[in-house]
Amino acid sequence: MSLVHLEGVSKIYQVGDQEIRALDTVDLRIEEGEFVSIIGPSGSGKSTLMHLLGCLDAPTSGQMEICGHDLSKASQNRLAEVRNREIGFVFQAFNLLAKLDVVHNIELPLVYAGLSSAERRIRAEKVAREVGLGDRLANRPVQLSGGQCQRVAIARALVNNPRLVFADEPTGNLDSATGEMILQMFRDLNAAGKTIVLVTHDPDIAAVSRRVIEIRDGKIRREYAP
Amino acid sequence: MNLLVALQIGIREIASHKFRSFLSMLGIVLGVSSLISTLALTTGIERGTRAFMQQVGGLEYVNVVNKEISNAKFEFWNLSPGRTLRDAVAIKASAPLVSHVSAELAFGAVVSAAGHSDRKQVRGVFPDHFVVARHEIQAGRFLTDLDVERGLRSAVIGNEIANLLWPDLQAEKIVGRQIRINDRPFEVVGVLPKYERDEDKRRREAGKAPASGRRAGRWDAFRGKNESILIPYSTMFFDFRAGAFPTDSMDSVRLDSLTLRIRDLEEFRPALEQVRAALDLTHRGVDDFDLETREEWFDRMESSIRATRLSGGLIATISLVVGGIGIMNIMLASISERVREIGIRLAVGARGQDIFVQIIVESVSIAFIGGLIGVLAAVGLIEILKLLAPNENAPIMTLEGIFFSVGFAILAGFLSGIYPALRAARLNPISALRYE
Repeated sequence: MSLVHLEGVSKIYQVGDQEIRALDTVDLRIEEGEFVSIIGPSGSGKSTLMHLLGCLDAPTSGQMEICGHDLSKASQNRLAEVRNREIGFVFQAFNLLAKLDVVHNIELPLVYAGLSSAERRIRAEKVAREVGLGDRLANRPVQLSGGQCQRVAIARALVNNPRLVFADEPTGNLDSATGEMILQMFRDLNAAGKTIVLVTHDPDIAAVSRRVIEIRDGKIRREYAP
Repeated sequence: MNLLVALQIGIREIASHKFRSFLSMLGIVLGVSSLISTLALTTGIERGTRAFMQQVGGLEYVNVVNKEISNAKFEFWNLSPGRTLRDAVAIKASAPLVSHVSAELAFGAVVSAAGHSDRKQVRGVFPDHFVVARHEIQAGRFLTDLDVERGLRSAVIGNEIANLLWPDLQAEKIVGRQIRINDRPFEVVGVLPKYERDEDKRRREAGKAPASGRRAGRWDAFRGKNESILIPYSTMFFDFRAGAFPTDSMDSVRLDSLTLRIRDLEEFRPALEQVRAALDLTHRGVDDFDLETREEWFDRMESSIRATRLSGGLIATISLVVGGIGIMNIMLASISERVREIGIRLAVGARGQDIFVQIIVESVSIAFIGGLIGVLAAVGLIEILKLLAPNENAPIMTLEGIFFSVGFAILAGFLSGIYPALRAARLNPISALRYE
């Protein structure tokens, strides 16, 4: 069964009296274990697509099934639940909480999953070691380099053991060497069986994946394997 | 997300903005401390008043007083013998709802002993007097029926008199000694304790000077009781009052005071009716007497306490509301500062209600901490109040008052958190994440 199954999905924003069709009847399937890139220039609708796939938003029309949950008409609470259990996010700007140290940043999704603090800590430390931050647990984000921050974000995305990991321009704020290292981490994760969706405007970065979906004007323009 | 986690997050948030949090607490601090102080003040006044009411005989105490005869019956004025011992006998016999009746004769006399002497009022009483006037005994005994029957020269003296005549002697040592009343020897058979307000008692026990009393130039409600010199009614009549008018007898001499005690407050009105009926007969229908009760007086005291409490409570409530608005203001500022954080929390799976609970917990925590500081401030405030205005009724801080005030602060925190929490909970994750 597909992890992502979109059929005729549209997302329409109402700005004033103007209708903006950010996504226009998109059909898409992503299978378990895939490494997919979504590319397109800004304003193409790729962010909207990621928000839908990442359960941050529900579609205006069409059928949307994520990880087996029918979310075509889901409420915000339902979306939050699926988001919490099935999805991990890695953002361009890291989006870590400056007030929290590394281990508390990583365990954030588990707080909302309702785990006990002891269990949260054990799992967060385990994931932190996996991304090579075992010795920085008590540091605040400001004390870390960009690459380390992004690894914290990746650890946070993985800590709830999601079936889908989204990365939105994960190398955008990093120098190329660090960026390369982060991309390698995604490749390794994919090799270990995680389904990864990478959103970028850069075809070179998209080239690390095995399937590229190009979005233009709210529609899937073409698909190819790099 | 459980409440404990929300509490941890809230406390951390408050701690990371200490000064701002403190400012937002200030209204609550003032509100809670003024509410507790008001409650303590009124509790103090209330307790003092209640104790005073008890000491002066309580509601059960009724005074039979002389009254101007109404015009309609004026021509019959000489039919009535006035207040006499017959009244007391009649009330005892035909008013079963009355438990004790005290008839008194008073006489100003020179009282002397051990080289001291002073002019004081002496009263001739029956044993019932000790119940009606709520006397206790410190040493010796009260007057008895035997004292009255035999017309013995026994005297029970108040604490103030004992101190005046024998300043160095303890009450136990005074019993059995002799005093002279207009040069007639009397044996002191009992000494009454010192009647004083709770406040004075506490101060005396703490070794401090009394806050009230004649020294402070205040009216002392217990002065009369403390300066009592009580002798048997019969002795009083025969030694000092007989012969003023040749026709007077113990039964027909006009009383200086006639007071009584109602058996049961439940039957207050019927008891008064019985007394009135008995007195109508002895006074031959002449309305030259009236029954003075404490109801109205006590009601006035109660209602002034209520008014004080209400107005103080109102002022405190207003400052708590203002405090709540302060918290709401800070919470709104704090939220718009944390839109991105809320976005991140939403992105990793927080639901709207998780955010709602978190903001509410935070605002309640601010109010609660402010409330606790307010309790401490109230302790200080009450001490200052005591110093500035040493009232006869010291403020009393009760646990109920503290719980009520802090509870009220928590409620204010909760209510003022609702709107900011709703705003935070309704944030859209996508736009919150993009917020700069």
